[in-house]
Amino acid sequence: MIPCAVVGVGQTHHKSRRRDVSFGGLVREAVFRALDDARMTMADIDAVVLGKAPDLFEGVMKPELYLSDALGAVGKPMFRVHTAGSVGGTTGLVAASHVRAGKHRTVLAVAFEKQSEGNAQFALGSGRGASLGAGGSFAPFVRAYIQRSGAPEHIGWTVAVKDRLNALKNPYAHLKIEDISIEKVRNSPMMWDPIRYLESCPSSDGACAVVITDADGAQAATAAGRPPAWILGMSSRSEAGSFPGRDPVRPRAGLQCAEDVYQEAGITNPREQIDMAELYVPFSWHEPIWLEAHHLADEGEGWKMIDDGQTEIGGSFPVNCSGGVLSTNPIGASGLLRFAEAANQVRGAAGDHQVDGAQVALAMAYGAQSQYFSMWIVANRLQPFG
Amino acid sequence: MTRFVESTITFPYKRSLGPVTGAFMTALAEKRILGIRNGAAVLVPPMEWDPASGAELAADLVEVGPAGTVESWTWVPVPTEQHPLEKPFAFAFIRLDGASCPLLHAVDAGSPAAVFEGLRVAPRWRGRRVGHITDIQCFVPGETSEVDGPDVESTGQPVELMDYTASVTYSTPVLAMADRAVAATREQRLTGLRCPACERVYFGGDRPYCPVDAVELGPDAEIDLPSTGTLTNFIVVEPVRYPGQTATEPFARVFVLLDDSDVVLTYQPVIDLPVDEIRVGIRVTAGWAPIDAPVDNVSGIGRPLGSLLGWTPSGEPDVNDPDLVNRIY
Repeated sequence: MIPCAVVGVGQTHHKSRRRDVSFGGLVREAVFRALDDARMTMADIDAVVLGKAPDLFEGVMKPELYLSDALGAVGKPMFRVHTAGSVGGTTGLVAASHVRAGKHRTVLAVAFEKQSEGNAQFALGSGRGASLGAGGSFAPFVRAYIQRSGAPEHIGWTVAVKDRLNALKNPYAHLKIEDISIEKVRNSPMMWDPIRYLESCPSSDGACAVVITDADGAQAATAAGRPPAWILGMSSRSEAGSFPGRDPVRPRAGLQCAEDVYQEAGITNPREQIDMAELYVPFSWHEPIWLEAHHLADEGEGWKMIDDGQTEIGGSFPVNCSGGVLSTNPIGASGLLRFAEAANQVRGAAGDHQVDGAQVALAMAYGAQSQYFSMWIVANRLQPFG
Repeated sequence: MTRFVESTITFPYKRSLGPVTGAFMTALAEKRILGIRNGAAVLVPPMEWDPASGAELAADLVEVGPAGTVESWTWVPVPTEQHPLEKPFAFAFIRLDGASCPLLHAVDAGSPAAVFEGLRVAPRWRGRRVGHITDIQCFVPGETSEVDGPDVESTGQPVELMDYTASVTYSTPVLAMADRAVAATREQRLTGLRCPACERVYFGGDRPYCPVDAVELGPDAEIDLPSTGTLTNFIVVEPVRYPGQTATEPFARVFVLLDDSDVVLTYQPVIDLPVDEIRVGIRVTAGWAPIDAPVDNVSGIGRPLGSLLGWTPSGEPDVNDPDLVNRIY
């Protein structure tokens, strides 16, 4: 297997409506930032992988073909990925797999959503009325987590405030709620009991792009003073959405995906050996849920890390320093944003939301009925554990 | 014989046009056709980037046409409502004067005998134009543009957004077993399929396999299920507005663990249970549509199955079990 690394990261400024750009203009904004970051041009790219949510979200069939010339992919291999909400993460994994396999040297991963041109509730309701929305699907999972863990209700508010404060340090983040507070979250409307409005992600227009190349390219970047993010482990897992006995709070696919990615990265104690994580948290309670379901906290203990402030920037295990999905949610791109932000952390390129000394980071995305999982572990060295 | 259910979904999408396509559409409202310089070439319609390399193009827009030459064409003898003209016409690649590439549009030529490579054509504009490619109703043989009806001057407002209403009609096959499950509800019975390998039971008949064991579930797997149970979990949804939304008031979906079984019915509607009285542990019984009432044949998450309309409190005391809430599936 050929070692590979992220050498370029780019994203758009995310907003409710990016009416100033076409689909092509939106993805190119992210792509050129990533190429500039990698000191590359479209000519240096050997293959392109595009990820986004189902075509029903914007009503463009086969957007990967429609956008191939905008992405400089004419005459090159072009792939479309779709794994529900985890798609952005899987897009990064598919791109890296091509490099690892030695099939292509440098691959561009791009993911986007222009939610304002369609309607996610409509699409998630299969085009019919009385859509439950994502919050409606997940609310029972959250109720079960709260009941079995005994977590107090302020944990959900605490995560909501933390991620919005982090977003204030991220120039690309969508939501900028300057006066965010526990009080404000607690007083926001109940949308899908027990999930409140400010405990929920926004709808965003935005894109993200990542350039992945082989060891030679990564070493050249290092020599030029531009540290890469080495990809130490990659994994994706899925399970059926419903069957008697299925536990959506602690899905086996999520546990196995974490176990697999840690093993490949040589991690035996994830809580100690990983310096920060970007987890897919569209509703605030997913932070403790995933801490526990990814072996970062013991069962029933995840919420205590949040209560102790350990997942804040400056805490012992910072989570979603970028502001996370709670602050920015161009659905198809949301997963790749986690993967890109984790890469920037270990490159020391995360700006005002940088975790001091971050060397190893976990990125994770999930989708559908908490049934698809994608993860990668990135580090500032190929062998950080000796 | 497999039965099919036809469904149509429609949605009014938007398209942000961006600076270049927006300028092209704005010019169409003014009866002008724009291209963009790409080196020595002129691309029509104009693009933001070089289609071959992806390189950004400077916004050097130039007017082309309005007349041009047919380079290739095909005849559409029986137009549908999705076609630009109601009568037979040609779809043609038209290289407008000054352009380096052809534009695809309709040509109203009367008959295929009147269309040929090299035919000179010019636009027939709509009288009322909105900044859309259909502002050119079609092209017609000749060198001179024409306007269909009274010519209404454009407002000159920049066109930045396009409406695009998409409609998809599709057919979904309905398995005989699923039909039997619906038929059973008309007799006020619930049925499911039991996996012979793991003994898990799947409600209804539209999943003819066990997702755990990958075992096919045929008619042998059909079993009767009780129509009473306990509410294990729930959602109260505050409806948001979207095109096609039918809900206006908060509504609930509940999870029901059927008695003497391992089966949880997910995302079920409720009957005679106000949203603010819903709680884990309520004893419920199936609520049925009147005999002979028409039933919705479209199944899906959060939808009733046949004559099973939802679940209603039975009046028995609540079940107090802290583990109930975990029975989501």
